[in-house]
Amino acid sequence: MTQFLKYVAGIQRRQMLYGTAATLAFLLVSRVVVARQKPVGKAAGGIAHEAGDKVDLVLDINGQERHLSLDGRTSLLDALRDHLDLTGSKKGCDHGQCGACTVHVDGRRVLSCLTLASMASGKKITTIEGLAGPDGGLHPMQAAFIEHDAFQCGYCTPGQIMSAVACVEEGHADDAAEIREYMSGNICRCAAYPNIVAAIEHAKVAMGRA
Amino acid sequence: MANAAAPEPKENMGQPMPRIDGRLKVTGGARYPSDIRLKEPVYAALALSSIALGSISRFRLDAARAVAGVIDIFTHETLSDAIKEQVMMGQSEQAGYAASTIRPLQSASILHDGQIIAIVVADTFEAATEAARLVAPEYDARTPSATFGSDGVTIEEAAKISKKHEDPKIGDAEAALRTAEVKVDNRYSTPVQHHNPIELFTTSCIWDGPKLTIFEPSQTAHGLRFGVAQQLGMNPDDVHVVSSFIGGAFGSKGATTERTALIAAIAKKLDRPVKFVSSRADAFFVSTYRAETEQRVALAASRDGKLTALIHEGHEVTSRPDGYFVGGTDTTTRMYACPNISTKVSVVHADRKTPGFMRAPAEMPYMFVLESAMDELAETLGIDPVELRRINDTQIEPIKGLAFTSRSLMPCFDAAAAAFRWSERNRKPGAARDGDWLIGQGCATSCYPTMVAPATARVSLMPDGTAHVETAAQDVGTGTYTVVAQMAAERLGIDARHVKVTLGDSKLPPAPVSGGSNVTASVCSAVAKACDAINEKLRGSNSQNLAEQFRRLGVSELVEYAETVAPGASPEGIDQLYKGISALGGGPKLKDRIQYAFGAQFIEVAVHSRTREIRVRRMTGAFAAGRIMNTRTARSQLMGGMIGGIGSALLEATEIDRRYARYVNKNLADYEVPVNADIEALDVILVPETDDKVNAVGVKGVGELGIVGTAAAVANAVYNATGIRVRDLPIRLDALLT
Repeated sequence: MTQFLKYVAGIQRRQMLYGTAATLAFLLVSRVVVARQKPVGKAAGGIAHEAGDKVDLVLDINGQERHLSLDGRTSLLDALRDHLDLTGSKKGCDHGQCGACTVHVDGRRVLSCLTLASMASGKKITTIEGLAGPDGGLHPMQAAFIEHDAFQCGYCTPGQIMSAVACVEEGHADDAAEIREYMSGNICRCAAYPNIVAAIEHAKVAMGRA
Repeated sequence: MANAAAPEPKENMGQPMPRIDGRLKVTGGARYPSDIRLKEPVYAALALSSIALGSISRFRLDAARAVAGVIDIFTHETLSDAIKEQVMMGQSEQAGYAASTIRPLQSASILHDGQIIAIVVADTFEAATEAARLVAPEYDARTPSATFGSDGVTIEEAAKISKKHEDPKIGDAEAALRTAEVKVDNRYSTPVQHHNPIELFTTSCIWDGPKLTIFEPSQTAHGLRFGVAQQLGMNPDDVHVVSSFIGGAFGSKGATTERTALIAAIAKKLDRPVKFVSSRADAFFVSTYRAETEQRVALAASRDGKLTALIHEGHEVTSRPDGYFVGGTDTTTRMYACPNISTKVSVVHADRKTPGFMRAPAEMPYMFVLESAMDELAETLGIDPVELRRINDTQIEPIKGLAFTSRSLMPCFDAAAAAFRWSERNRKPGAARDGDWLIGQGCATSCYPTMVAPATARVSLMPDGTAHVETAAQDVGTGTYTVVAQMAAERLGIDARHVKVTLGDSKLPPAPVSGGSNVTASVCSAVAKACDAINEKLRGSNSQNLAEQFRRLGVSELVEYAETVAPGASPEGIDQLYKGISALGGGPKLKDRIQYAFGAQFIEVAVHSRTREIRVRRMTGAFAAGRIMNTRTARSQLMGGMIGGIGSALLEATEIDRRYARYVNKNLADYEVPVNADIEALDVILVPETDDKVNAVGVKGVGELGIVGTAAAVANAVYNATGIRVRDLPIRLDALLT
């Protein structure tokens, strides 16, 4: 239940605390509302934004540059879903407890609901839509999920697959017990868990990590 | 490599065809309702009541309105004209669709924690979310009654609430209990649970003149269409519901809940598309829940293990205005031969939201109790728990003396016991150890009533051997898309990969709610009938070539529309279906027969000798459910049910602050559900069974069967491991600290 905090969200939280603008936005998002009536002072080296102010940014998503002008509080997940029509990443809790929104940022699995879109600027973002080959050929993990029936409703599936690919690439898929542990940040309420483990064990061979 | 997900079909089982919607689901291409792109939408967010009983005296909305981007805030002061009529599903003679009679935003009255008190609409999701938190109501609060034992609750007998419920009874159970050679008589409880599908509750509404389109994940596209039309006083022909993919439901998306008509009314007032996506905390209020129960079961038996009496009493919590109950005694009284049976179901009205159905609504809590009691009786008698079920197994249910259409309970027990190596179990509680861990094994009966509803479908066959099946049925993850294709392919003699299936849209031929595990049986019956009509037209041709046959008939396609009802059911059910009502029938409610699917579950737990941590080490379930359409999707459903059962047994409970009648753990970290690390070895055995009486296609349904009995099997295993009998769910380590 707590794996995601240790292995995924922690990275983002540290980053948030280092970036001044991001820290301010984080405070606003977490509803510790900073005195709204008076202008927020400029922080050293950064541009302060009021909640609701637009932020211009460029995101590198699935190899494409996407230009956006967003409310500074917009999460990477909402940027993908509501502003770029990349709806494969799912919203299941919006606060880092379910894993349905998992994407890759610079090759690491990240919860896009706990990542401000502005923090992902300049990084390589891969979503479920970018996982298959340019010819539409499925990634081995996607094919294995179908073959092993590693989903039912399919809603958590994009997050499961993004997490599963990272799990293998991290070297955390040595055996079923390790896979179970490192996949426990992604909840599947239909409970396809044994099939998810089987799919990962299958796909890691095709991924050359067996 | 062997693929456990695709079991080899046995007799009367279909091929393990991979899901035909699989590619869409693994590529992010499946568009769930909140994935539909809207043109310039505005975003809605809810403000919920922080009291459980009272009224709103005034609102302070200045701070919320000051948030940049806020368009409007709707409260009972501005939206109380929205709802014209709201009839609760199944609670009156009148057609009803709603989960409750409670109408938020229609008055200042507050009847439960988390009632919608305001809906904020803004240009962005961020602004709506921020402003919703700044909505400041002032309340006239009264002291609410929270649950069992709270001051002010009122008790009402289920049989007095509903004509549909009659407490099953035969013989004189109290007298038989008094004179019994052996008896067990205990009280049990089950907690509040929330479905928590990973897809949040979402609604998008768009108006085009008088026409309303709703994108919402629903277990009944037609039911939602009629429900919203009733609430808004609209012609149902002007309401269109799209629900092509549903991100899990488990009962939570079955009835029409409060927010949909309110969002629609706001979209109309603003003349803008409105998109609503609940938060996870809101999800504990936006839909329904499984209410807590308190139950008593007494079993009496002769020394040879034959049951002589069964008494089962259940109390269930409901809201003040609504008499919702699940009444599982209809099922528990049909499990075993017994000459003296007495039951009673009562509801306890408290200041709570109206509960609703959740996966195996009646069977999960009531069978937990019966199957725990059977284990206690076996222990008291010194008879093996499997043998106690065999001694009392029956092909004739004891209440009305009706024959089961088929009942493979003991074949399931025998298959599962052999695979589990039950014979190696140490019968003495607390005697088996593995290092620091105490090992225990337990078993229980699974069952689910076989329900069938009227359904319709349209099938089109093309000369090139492709076909298209259209029906409004939903695929909530159960595999409806796939099994419908398989059924059409089998009947038409074509390749299932050449069958296109369109579901989840209220413009399609009406189909019943995805509830009561009925859809595969009901909808496949209609698909088969339409296919048979096409075959009838093709008959008389000597040619095996489809294109030639179409030329001979002078048509470019063959289209057939079929309507079906269950064997012996009233044809009026079809009329109800066209009004969005699913006339589910079957199980113990028939006059000439009784129909159930059965199973047996065996579970091994390990309990740490010092910390009392409980781990499930392995699970084996064997199930017989008539025709299995697809061994892959059926196994996945049964597996998902069993794991859901582990949640019920060990993890899931929504905790209530009794002082305020409020939930305290409204998130997925504190409402614990099983995660991958909770599940180790799991084995599902599909036991062959043929039943030609339940419906035209011989299907019993497996969506809910797997969750029934699991919690009892765990409790019985915990007893075997520790010698401690836990009668209250969920079983957590504090119950084992003695």
